[in-house]
Amino acid sequence: MKEDSCYLIKYTSSGLYCELADAWIDPIKPVKRALITHAHMDHFTFGCDEYISTYETAVIIKERIGKEINIKTYDYEKEFKINGIKISFHPSGHILGSSQIKFSFAEEIWLITGDYKRQKDDTCKEYEIVKTDYLISESTFGLPIFKWDEPQKTTTDISKWVNSSQEKTSILFCYSLGKAQRILNEISKTNFKNNIYTHSSIYRMNNCYKKLGIDIIETKKLEQTKNNSDLKGSLIILPPALNKSSFLKNFKDSQTGFASGWMSIRALRKRSGYDKGFSISDHADWISILRTIKESKANNIFFHHGDSEALNKYLKEKNSINVLEFEYKK
Amino acid sequence: MSLKKFSELFTDLDSCNSTNKKIGILQKYFSSNEALENSWTIYLLTGKKNKRFISGRSIKTLFSEIYEYPLWLIDSCYLKVGDSAEVISLLLRNMITGKNIKYQDISLDELLNKSFPELSILKEDYKKLRVKEIWENIPIENLLVINKILTGTFRVGVSIGLITKSIAKLINLDEAIISHRLMGDFIPSEESYKLLIDKKINPLELNYKPYPFLLANTFEKKIIDKSINDFQFEWKWDGIRIQLIKRSGKVSIWTRGQDLVNKSFPELVEKISSIKDDFVIDGELLVWDFKQSLPLNFSLLQKRINRKAPSRKIQKNLPIIFIAYDLLEINGEDQRYSNLEIRRNNLEKHLCNWLNESKEELSNIFKISDLIHPKNWEEAETFKNNSRDNGTEGLVIKNKKSIYTPGRKKGLWWKYKVDPMQLDAVLIYAKGGSGIRAGLYTDYSFALWKDGELIKFASAYSGLNNTEIKELDRWIRQNTIDRFGPVRSVRPEMVFEISFENIQISKRHKSGIAVRFPRITKWRKDKLIKDADTLENAQKLMLNK
Repeated sequence: MKEDSCYLIKYTSSGLYCELADAWIDPIKPVKRALITHAHMDHFTFGCDEYISTYETAVIIKERIGKEINIKTYDYEKEFKINGIKISFHPSGHILGSSQIKFSFAEEIWLITGDYKRQKDDTCKEYEIVKTDYLISESTFGLPIFKWDEPQKTTTDISKWVNSSQEKTSILFCYSLGKAQRILNEISKTNFKNNIYTHSSIYRMNNCYKKLGIDIIETKKLEQTKNNSDLKGSLIILPPALNKSSFLKNFKDSQTGFASGWMSIRALRKRSGYDKGFSISDHADWISILRTIKESKANNIFFHHGDSEALNKYLKEKNSINVLEFEYKK
Repeated sequence: MSLKKFSELFTDLDSCNSTNKKIGILQKYFSSNEALENSWTIYLLTGKKNKRFISGRSIKTLFSEIYEYPLWLIDSCYLKVGDSAEVISLLLRNMITGKNIKYQDISLDELLNKSFPELSILKEDYKKLRVKEIWENIPIENLLVINKILTGTFRVGVSIGLITKSIAKLINLDEAIISHRLMGDFIPSEESYKLLIDKKINPLELNYKPYPFLLANTFEKKIIDKSINDFQFEWKWDGIRIQLIKRSGKVSIWTRGQDLVNKSFPELVEKISSIKDDFVIDGELLVWDFKQSLPLNFSLLQKRINRKAPSRKIQKNLPIIFIAYDLLEINGEDQRYSNLEIRRNNLEKHLCNWLNESKEELSNIFKISDLIHPKNWEEAETFKNNSRDNGTEGLVIKNKKSIYTPGRKKGLWWKYKVDPMQLDAVLIYAKGGSGIRAGLYTDYSFALWKDGELIKFASAYSGLNNTEIKELDRWIRQNTIDRFGPVRSVRPEMVFEISFENIQISKRHKSGIAVRFPRITKWRKDKLIKDADTLENAQKLMLNK
């Protein structure tokens, strides 16, 4: 077996690294050059000398951090070179602007999926099947108990949940970037007529999406001083960080829900402390991970992000692909 | 037709944290459903003794064999989910489409009275076919409930108390009566549900049923402001609380867990039958050491309960006694609304007569709970602290004016328990939890020192708060030395204060000791493992007790 150092992409204490291009992918520490798969903050680190991403990702990042950074952008599929390594971004279907990153060098192709999903999502480009030799796939939901319902089913449930408690304020927690916009986009296709309020962080992202040409239903920005009796029967969308915060004291008669892939498990739903869990995810479920591996035609697979023990063992038993693990350096 | 309805009820109750709302949901459900289906619903939700048609293990094996699915993968999933029925219903969604199904809906009666009992006696291969047929022919959203019924594991946070409240509200009758009607075995039938919601009270209907038990609260400091003379003091025995019932000459022994245990204690039934009066007496059952006049270890009592039709030899080697606390009914007359002082006087008077009339045989098995008479609260505390000397675990303090009402009402009875024994021990193993704690390492094993080696002495699951559980879970994952299936052995680094009620010699354990009710009372981050206790210290506790 090859040593990590022989691979085109390896794992370092700062994250995935392509030595020949001297570039890190979603580094967790400040580095010289960072390729960014998408604009979620756990994939972004301040203080890098240079960032490279898709245009949409760059716009969202700048909006989120509120300042200029040295960021270079490339369109999807547009190939560019760093130190002779050919690199390109390809849609990953996770959120707006999210991408897989393809590296080619000396007849060898590596593909880092970043976070991805195979479900339909009208707020971003659909996942693109990219053929590769080496695949580095995320495995956040790497167990067969995870199988996503159609998003329409979840938004119909959300809509029913709000409508069946008109005397209450329904507070739905979800990630402010990506998930919130996807839910809003989906819910606009149901016959949901109630008022929707969004927290300022979500409201800002909505505008950002709209600016980038995505169809997002009109919501009202939630003002902290808002008289809460006006909010009965409305849907309020907040980021999860505000759960159990003093912010919630503004709403007396309320019910809470959380939208996340983890909510498909009853124990996690119960432990989360929300009244209701809605299962909807922007990551790949088990079947999608297996499908993606197959369609990529990869001969070698690494998993990154998430618990990959079961996937590793399952694929080894099937013996159809070479399952590799990074020598993790702490 | 109502698997569908029941499944919706399950989902609604499961995603509702308010008691009042739950009662509302139940009320609506009961009033819009057929009696027979309601009776099965009560049977399932109260989960008193749900029949298990397939074990948690077999449902996993069945799935694995039917769909040629690796069992290890099902087990990995189980670690995250913590419930076999749920794991299988989640995995099934990868296997079936839920289209072209035969059973759009099916009644609970059909399932529980016919399909499942028939299924459970089938030979393995036929069972597989039948289970597959059921799974593939019911709506996907009902799979969880079906599997939970199959495996007999219904816990939705609906207590018998909630059912009682919703039925009482539904028919506008006193909760105490509904609660009484629900005591003992509830055998589902149209008839039993109709009886449950009958607005007329038939004095004979409850003849074979125990009364709902009065339960003691934990001692509250504020009661010492009151005069000690307002209270009655008794020892708190560590046996099983029972109601001894003799009505129309027929004896029944009911545990607080509402099990009828006549068969386990034939000698008690026999001797009680000779008493001339009818009665209901609340008391405690213990295995007794007549030489030392002390109760024997609780595990021996468990042995007696588990043995139906015990031999003469067992009856002789593990002799039992009944300690009477309270007289609830005498010759058909309900005493529960007289105050405790009066009930106690009557109990003493009647018991005295019975003992006189029956020669000494009855006194070997039937005693009255001795009263203790502390002169002041300090002395009460001393009694409590010394309670281990006579094999009890503290005092029960009862308001002399208290009536006997169901449940844990405030201001009536208190348990005043002796401080637990404690040892500082080192965490050595952790196992994944189940149910709501799935996916977290929450079942811990602790060790004490012996000749420079750590010897496992107790396992504990409770005592840490949610933040600590998460923190320790993370630590366990980062400090795992070895893994055996769901168990991890961890670097010996963390010290915990373990409290327990009792300590005994045990041949079954490597440490040679067994403790009762071990739980974590403190995470001793201030201590190094060398500061943890030794087995010797544990043995000293045993000698000193």
